[in-house]
Amino acid sequence: MTVDSTSDAPVWVPPTWDAVVREHADRVYRLAYRLSGNRADAEDLTQETFVRVFRSLTEYKPGTFEGWLHRITTNLFLDMVRRRQRIRFDALPEDVGDRLAGTGPGPEQSYDQMHLDPEIQAALDDLPPDFRVAVVLCDLEQLSYEEIAATLGIKVGTVRSRIHRGRVLLRAALAHRAPGLRPVEPGVAMSDV
Amino acid sequence: MTSQHLSDEAVAAFADGVLTGHARARAMRHTAECAECDAAVREQRLAVLALRSAPAPALPSGLVDRLRGLPGTTPLHAPSTTVAPDGSLMLSTMAPTAALVPITRPASARHGHRIRPLATTAALLAVAGVLTSGAVLAEPNAPAPGNGTTLRDVAPSTTTVPISPELTFGTVTLLRPGGR
Repeated sequence: MTVDSTSDAPVWVPPTWDAVVREHADRVYRLAYRLSGNRADAEDLTQETFVRVFRSLTEYKPGTFEGWLHRITTNLFLDMVRRRQRIRFDALPEDVGDRLAGTGPGPEQSYDQMHLDPEIQAALDDLPPDFRVAVVLCDLEQLSYEEIAATLGIKVGTVRSRIHRGRVLLRAALAHRAPGLRPVEPGVAMSDV
Repeated sequence: MTSQHLSDEAVAAFADGVLTGHARARAMRHTAECAECDAAVREQRLAVLALRSAPAPALPSGLVDRLRGLPGTTPLHAPSTTVAPDGSLMLSTMAPTAALVPITRPASARHGHRIRPLATTAALLAVAGVLTSGAVLAEPNAPAPGNGTTLRDVAPSTTTVPISPELTFGTVTLLRPGGR
């Protein structure tokens, strides 16, 4: 797909649906998995993201398609987390069965050990959602601070401090769970700069 | 030579190599002489390395098939109306079906009334009601909005009139004054 950044008469031809899926499904699923920590939620988030994309594809204003996808996936994830927190904190109402029925599989955490290092995913899952999102977008999706700020609608300074805090917690969790996970050659990464 | 410790934000940014100019120079000078900040920067980088060492999850093939099939199962537009003020109108639950079934009308109906008389009457009554209240509301502070604009602004709320399930969104919009 071509995204024209010139200001006047941006001619943007919506890609075929197959092309959208082929090009972006992998990235969206990966992000969804790293945020949610399990396959069932990752599949739900991915599907819902693509439903949103499908509905608004024709109205899509050329920008970065990837940024758009990141934003949708991340916000759906945060919505999901908040919804579950609400349900957990409220006394469960009578119709809870009905309400949960629409949200896909329950919150059981069935780690898919085939797919992601369970130690690292578990450490990620322990991070508060806001920190997790910042760290995943920065370190795994490799977005810039500015892109993350735009994705989450927060200030760059907030992005930096969330990333910092998230990594500190992550290191603490990993050191506690598996000290052996430290890099084999500790000198390599920090000799630069 | 005790320079101030790096802020958390600066530690992260320095570890990621995105500090520039003066800030970067200061961070380099400080970490050279402050073991604490130097270690903090190292911890940030170790966290990144640990994360990146994790293999990426593979996309389940069943999911890809479902994504490919979405155009056949997804209504193009999310329903704009879900529940009327009185709670009687639940278009959202019907939206998926409504969007998938092509709207076909008898040819004779195309130039005549498209909605059932009962709905029409109800709609007109509602419109009349809104017009009246709109006019009443508009009169006292007369200066700014002309009558026409006020009505146009208010009238679309008449789409929440109780209607039968056969009515679709397209039909509902016909009730707009000066409808396109």
